[in-house]
Amino acid sequence: MTALLLGALGLTLSLVVPGVLASARWPGRAPVAAIVLWQSITLAGILCALGVVLAAPQELIDESGPGRPYGVTALLAALVVAMVIIVRLLVSLAGVTHRSRTRRARHRLLVDLLDTAERHGELPAGLRVLDGPLPFAYCLPGRRPRVVLSEGVLQVLDAEQVAAVIAHEQAHLRYRHDLVMESFTAFYRAVPRPLRSRAPLDAVHLLLEMAADDAARSRTGAPALRSALERLGDAVSPDAPAELDAATATAERRRRLDRLTGPDTRSGTLTVVAATMAVCLLVLPTVILVVPWLDRALTAWPL
Amino acid sequence: MASGKALGDLERDIMRRLWDAAGPLTVRQVHEQLSAERDLAYTTVMTVLDRLAKKGVVNQQKADRAYRYAPAQTREEMTAALMLDALSAAPDDVRDAALAHFVGRIDPSALSAAIEAANHRS
Repeated sequence: MTALLLGALGLTLSLVVPGVLASARWPGRAPVAAIVLWQSITLAGILCALGVVLAAPQELIDESGPGRPYGVTALLAALVVAMVIIVRLLVSLAGVTHRSRTRRARHRLLVDLLDTAERHGELPAGLRVLDGPLPFAYCLPGRRPRVVLSEGVLQVLDAEQVAAVIAHEQAHLRYRHDLVMESFTAFYRAVPRPLRSRAPLDAVHLLLEMAADDAARSRTGAPALRSALERLGDAVSPDAPAELDAATATAERRRRLDRLTGPDTRSGTLTVVAATMAVCLLVLPTVILVVPWLDRALTAWPL
Repeated sequence: MASGKALGDLERDIMRRLWDAAGPLTVRQVHEQLSAERDLAYTTVMTVLDRLAKKGVVNQQKADRAYRYAPAQTREEMTAALMLDALSAAPDDVRDAALAHFVGRIDPSALSAAIEAANHRS
């Protein structure tokens, strides 16, 4: 029964909930709490999978009557499968982390070599400026982080807008958004192909942008950030429409712009509710299902 | 050896000399140009050029018993390559965790066209 319930919960969390949460509008009003909720959903899904693997053999044996020799084999098999799941997740995380580090180190080397920041005297320290009229800005996370602007950004944006863009990128760096994104990427890659879903990846990416927008807004005000975002988006949107990826990017930008227009819609209540849901998702299944099962299993298991 | 920041500045200055030069330079030529502005050991320049060559940023050629160094790419080529790397997604189409973007995802082919058009205009 425990295995069935955990399985049902796990499937709900990995197949149904992401779609619902990804299309909901409220996360835009409490982006940080929504990110925590996504993390909790993902982690709870993993724990459910492990719970099913460990509980199912013991429960099946209980149903079919006592059979100690089978019991030991089943228990060992369950432990092996659980180990495989954990190792697969860790290997995926190590791979994603390693690839990101390597790519960033190379990128940082080149950015530092090509930097022309001293030609634009009034900029804050730690900033890198690349030649070229194409306007864009991004950050390079890590132990020696960089905020990178193109010369084009300095041309199309005024000082206030540039400050907003820099504040946005610095928020990504300060709150280590790269680590959040890496963990979701690692999870995505560890899940077998038929069960994979891009929904958490895309939703969390958008929420991280919103969180950085909020940090920038509190420093430079919403109007400066909003106008910067509008200009940058226009400058680099590809001419050809009908591209699915481009459509997604445009929709994301629309939602970010909408949040920065009119009155601040951020909600403390929603933040508390979402954070509470995140905690409950991890605590309740453990208390209601896993602890009683462990109690029974430890007395019944053959080891 | 110099501190991290000073070393970074030195690497950048050396690259600039190589990019501005008409052809490959020897360590001595680079050293002469730089020591006009600052106190710098010949061996430091040699070490930095060697490091840059190991990283594949400059090419090392042996001619007349002296090593000559030239940038592996022009400044413009390297900048364009860097922009593409920054703005395009990871090869396997997973949302890239390496860089956090401000401008969102862009189709790489549209992007290279945009870079080319932008460079043309300037």
